[in-house]
Amino acid sequence: MASSASPLKTTATGYATYQGREGHYAFLLHRLTGLGVLLFLIIHILDTSTVYFYPELYEHAIALYRSTPFMLGEIGLVFAVIYHGVNGLRIAVTDLWMPKRWAIQTQRNAVRITLAISVLLWAPAALWMTYNMLLHNHGINLLPFIGTH
Amino acid sequence: MLVYLKIFRYNPEAGRSTPSFDTYNIEAQPTDRVLDLLEHVKGHVDGTLSFRRSCAHGVCGSDAMRINGRNMLACKVLVKDVGNEITVEPILGLPVLKDMIVDMEPFFDSYKAVMPYLVNDEVPADGKERLQSPEQRERFDDTTKCIMCAACTTSCPVYWADDQYVGPAAIVNAHRFIFDSRDQAGGERLKILSDHGGVFRCRTAFNCTEACPREIHVTQAIAEVKQAITG
Repeated sequence: MASSASPLKTTATGYATYQGREGHYAFLLHRLTGLGVLLFLIIHILDTSTVYFYPELYEHAIALYRSTPFMLGEIGLVFAVIYHGVNGLRIAVTDLWMPKRWAIQTQRNAVRITLAISVLLWAPAALWMTYNMLLHNHGINLLPFIGTH
Repeated sequence: MLVYLKIFRYNPEAGRSTPSFDTYNIEAQPTDRVLDLLEHVKGHVDGTLSFRRSCAHGVCGSDAMRINGRNMLACKVLVKDVGNEITVEPILGLPVLKDMIVDMEPFFDSYKAVMPYLVNDEVPADGKERLQSPEQRERFDDTTKCIMCAACTTSCPVYWADDQYVGPAAIVNAHRFIFDSRDQAGGERLKILSDHGGVFRCRTAFNCTEACPREIHVTQAIAEVKQAITG
């Protein structure tokens, strides 16, 4: 009798325990950010639909988006969108036009560069969103010299 | 050096129907291979330990297993390369029969599905042999190195989730014939690989290329087959 784990269990075990290199973690982050964006999109469609069906509920949803936990989530969402896009470009460009660049050292470097580009693109938005969140939700002005709006 | 060796155990015929781990402290040299440690346990400590091995020199491809969480051939990895705490488990995605031995049939079924043999019914021009230039031979040289160890296929996250996916090894072996100038069934293989379980299931996680003990550019080969399909 063979011990045959379900595909779900095998996948979860592999995701959690396989000691892959950069490509493995790039894949996991790509999947995680993709699912995160998808989840947000579903929630966003649902809450926007309340404008038509339950306008009061929509106001409540917008208030929720302005709460600190949701704003922190939005900062994460921006990273998810940027990383998913940049990493998707890395994969598409390599796969479609440069298959010879699917080489070990090239890809280890490419993954690191992808992450660096994503963080660089995300940082200005993240800083600006954090500034606004602290200002409007907690009254903390990190940049008093530019005033409030 | 003292090695702390942790080995996956599963043997339903001997009452071990719940997978578990046994641990052994073994005196070893840094230049010993992990296979040497397994042989030591089997020969001197517990004869019921089961694992596949044949040539023990990285050629036959029978002893692929997860060593410290990563697919490797036990006969090619030295103790000094993985440290003195070593965990050995069977490869993922194939049913475990006993200890490190997995049922390779699903893997071989995928291999057979891509027609891994030369197809050419025409009589050679000189009646004896089909000539090939060095450049034509070079085109598929990399993928001739496959030893069918399954290290690539069982490191693939898509293969873990979807047993309909033929997996990297089958694609590598299809590539070997698709780009062989003497073969005439390339179109048929491309049709097979453009189906649901074919090359487009690949998500380029790159574990296959990292795991290949023969250093085949597996992801590149898959990309080349994708390009051949899309034209």
